[in-house]
Amino acid sequence: MIITVTLNPAIDKIYWVDRLRIEEEAQEEFLTRAVRSQTSAGGKGINISIFLARLGVENVAMGFVGGHTGHVVVRDLRDEGVTTNFVWVEGETRTNVTILERGREFIPIMVSEEGQAVSPVEMERFMRRYKRIVRRADWVILAGSLPPGVEPDTYRVLAAQAQAAGAKVAVMAGGTPLARVLAAGPDIVKPDTREHLVLENTHLSTRERIIAVGRKVVEHGVGMVVISHEVVGDLVITKDGGWDIESRVPATRFKNLVGADDALIGGIVYKLHSGAPLEEALRFGMAAGIASAESEEKLCNDVDEISHEMERITLTPLGGKDAGK
Amino acid sequence: MRVSEIMTKDLTAVEKDISVRELIFILNSADISVMPIVDDDGVLIGIISEKDLIKAALPGYFEMLHSTSFIPDLNQFSTKLAKIARDPIERYMKRDVVSIAVDDDDLQAADLLIRKNLRSLPVIDKEGRLAGVVRRIDLLRNLL
Repeated sequence: MIITVTLNPAIDKIYWVDRLRIEEEAQEEFLTRAVRSQTSAGGKGINISIFLARLGVENVAMGFVGGHTGHVVVRDLRDEGVTTNFVWVEGETRTNVTILERGREFIPIMVSEEGQAVSPVEMERFMRRYKRIVRRADWVILAGSLPPGVEPDTYRVLAAQAQAAGAKVAVMAGGTPLARVLAAGPDIVKPDTREHLVLENTHLSTRERIIAVGRKVVEHGVGMVVISHEVVGDLVITKDGGWDIESRVPATRFKNLVGADDALIGGIVYKLHSGAPLEEALRFGMAAGIASAESEEKLCNDVDEISHEMERITLTPLGGKDAGK
Repeated sequence: MRVSEIMTKDLTAVEKDISVRELIFILNSADISVMPIVDDDGVLIGIISEKDLIKAALPGYFEMLHSTSFIPDLNQFSTKLAKIARDPIERYMKRDVVSIAVDDDDLQAADLLIRKNLRSLPVIDKEGRLAGVVRRIDLLRNLL
């Protein structure tokens, strides 16, 4: 069984507009009409749950939900065939807004709410549920930001419990929660670099720095680090080496980047869970991410499309020139 | 169809030591009227509904009355409810749970829901752990 944990889920509201007029010193109000909009359950772990369910993988989505938007999240997940196991909290599940301007979809404008606060009692309720179910898990995916009130150490605690129960752990996070979880030595780490470009006190600005930091993290016990280094490329670092994964698709072809990273990690875990070798899992994950980015929909689950995309992906082992950097 | 194909895949459940107040919050938030109760392994050990809580908070003589016209207001009910709000729900839960297995067929689920006049039916796996719930609407939705 695969468990996804999204402690700070969201409703993803996506607007497509023909032209987004943003003027620094606007003198009067103006209206931008959306040519299309879409509302769906969101948050990194939730996107992964939906991705996996569409591929026929039984999985359980956990986290906190509240209010009307919380019901929308739960309903969407159930409609997708995901098993839900959420703790209800006071307040309202947040809404994240993305605006995609025609021709510039590869540079989305994103506004994320902080999320509803979680009390110690509500956290305790979650921990009891988590302990109950984690012993049945093969994989646990801890993904996304933490809501107000949740300790930054939480991912480390959850990862350690999952490992003690014999499950493998993947983490998609940024900032302090990511820095703390490294101590637990998860199997896969995907830093969220949208807000926090620093890991292990190093700015992840260049390929060389990413590789150096990745190696440092792996030396501390993390199984594999996947770091986006360009829109169409990721660097993967393991204790045995690593790969430069690149797609030949130009970023200008991307229509919707929301969910692409989640499809990447969902794809990798999907393949590893089914017993595929690591290189195949990486290729499939990257292809799923690229196919999702090329699709107007948040997630692409068309296996034919992903297979087609796999042919355009190159995996170059890190070696030679990267050694010692 | 098997029960696993028609059930709502939801593992919302509580432990027997949570308070009546907590349970009311969860029932209201999740918009459900019946709550499965599980042990530390997720095994279904009981069930509690809004009806059980109302019954627990009603004055003892209420069942003997033929009409509520003798009761002036809900003050006694409200006072009793406040009194039991901190009680663990195990005092009011039902331990003899009617449930159905994931591999049973939808006809068995329909039979139980109708004959026992149930709103929902907990679904359990081979180990007795909660796996979901079949509601009347799940049957209607899947049989149409």
